[in-house]
Amino acid sequence: MATPLPAFVARRRPDWDALQALLARQRAGRLHLEELRTLDTLYRRASADLARAQTFYPGTDAHRFLNQLCGQAYGAIYQPPRERWASTRDFFLRDFPATLRREARFVGVSAGMLVLGLLLGALVVTLEPRGAELLVPEGVRRYVAQGRMWTDDILSVAPPNAVASGIATNNLTVTLFAFASGILLGVGPIFTLVNNGVLIGAVGALCFREGMTVGFLDFIAAHGPVELSIIVIAGGAGLMVGQALIDPGELPRAQALQARGREAVKLVVGCAPFLAGIGMVEGFISPGHLFPTWAKVGLGLSLGALFWFYLLRAGRTDAGATRDAVPEDRASSRLR
Amino acid sequence: MTPSAPAPHVDVATPERVALSLPVAGIGYRCLAWLVDASLLFFFWVALYFVITLLVSDVLGAFQSLSGLTQTLFAVGLFATQWLYWTLAEVFFHGQTPGKRALRIRVVREDGSPVGFLESAVRNLCRAVDFLPVLYATGCITMLLDARHRRLGDLLAGTVLVREEAIDLDKYTRPAASEAAAQAMTATAAQRPLGAEDVELVLAFLARAPGLAPDVRRRLGARLVDRVGATLTDEERAQVLQTPEALESFLRTRAQAAH
Repeated sequence: MATPLPAFVARRRPDWDALQALLARQRAGRLHLEELRTLDTLYRRASADLARAQTFYPGTDAHRFLNQLCGQAYGAIYQPPRERWASTRDFFLRDFPATLRREARFVGVSAGMLVLGLLLGALVVTLEPRGAELLVPEGVRRYVAQGRMWTDDILSVAPPNAVASGIATNNLTVTLFAFASGILLGVGPIFTLVNNGVLIGAVGALCFREGMTVGFLDFIAAHGPVELSIIVIAGGAGLMVGQALIDPGELPRAQALQARGREAVKLVVGCAPFLAGIGMVEGFISPGHLFPTWAKVGLGLSLGALFWFYLLRAGRTDAGATRDAVPEDRASSRLR
Repeated sequence: MTPSAPAPHVDVATPERVALSLPVAGIGYRCLAWLVDASLLFFFWVALYFVITLLVSDVLGAFQSLSGLTQTLFAVGLFATQWLYWTLAEVFFHGQTPGKRALRIRVVREDGSPVGFLESAVRNLCRAVDFLPVLYATGCITMLLDARHRRLGDLLAGTVLVREEAIDLDKYTRPAASEAAAQAMTATAAQRPLGAEDVELVLAFLARAPGLAPDVRRRLGARLVDRVGATLTDEERAQVLQTPEALESFLRTRAQAAH
């Protein structure tokens, strides 16, 4: 016969209370080395108590309490490695571009979708002028009909709705959605990419027909290349997720999803700072006439070239040398 | 006192070779936690709006000239609201946003270990999809369908929300009322200690007894006395059943009896 439950609780409780107090201190980040050792010892004892409770007192509150206590201590002891600047730098210097190159197929398909949408939109509006009524938001059409760019007086009568839903001012939402909607069997990214392509193509063609190509170019040139690249990359990440759902390979679907999700999110997280940067360009430089068109075009092209140069070259030179030393899966688990 | 249907839980095999099983947080906890977080963010935005309009807008008309800046600020702020707040909180506060902390729930990986940056990033990026078409409709449907109440973001990241319960261990060691206890002790001493299940039953009754209607309290108490005090003589039994205090004191002594 085992010890009666109350006697067991009464005898072991001081240790549990001590462990709880230590865990609270650990969470607050104030723990000395000796205390850390005590924490470890107490955790092991609590584990033994839990095993005992599982055998003799299953389903009791004492069992539940120990379960929870050990769960908290387990979480505190087996923590993922802390994020450090070195690992962040390493991520951007090596891991992110390398992941992108590894998953170039998906990014390529994603780019194809966007271009397909672009061509479709442009073709429809060019061949059938009334198609613009269907594809271009009404606010934008009104401006173009008056021969003005809708970006010229963003803060006048109409709120910048047209722009926001129009040409990728809503880039953030579009980017996030292009990735996240991949979990809808990959249909989401395809829709987002084609839809945005059609929109941009249609607006571009409409501007061309109304003789406003310069104005259109003027607005889109500075941020367009990088921004569209980022949307394409996020769309590629979304397609990866969709592919894991449809064709999980040898893994169970849930595991395939998690594995691909980890890889895919690297692409999105890697793009985040560039998205913020290009957001600044779009906010300060693109609208209005503070900068001449040629400067905007030059800036846009060079930014785009730099971005892709970084994506395709970064970490490649020493990749061959370090690949043997650092296995791929360890390299990719660094940014946990 | 084991629940009839097993509640959803996360099984963890620790390196110490002990199986943990953590209870999963259901849709109610998650909705409440989200409401707390959403309200915090809402008040943040309201405060920010007033600060900006007070300091900037009307003095210099800066909004007009800096349309680009406000636009950018808005995009960055949206980003922060949508993603940064949740992810940073989960990474730096051990899987808890302020709302989750208030509700005592926590994000962990499916093996029970703490979430890292990538998992948190994935599950929070997927908010955009779980929110579709309005107010987390997709997420809620997924939570209802999934055995462990995960939304799409959790499925993709391999995370799950676990609940922390407030469990009162004092009930095991709370002393019985002394005078009656000494009296009952004589009757108790001869009997063998109770099994864990009976102990839980008795303690659960004792915790609830003060809130019960008097006759229910007496009836349930009498049944428990019959269950755990089988060797009492009729005379002793009548004495124990005389007042609720004596009855409950007897039960507590009985539950706490050591060998």
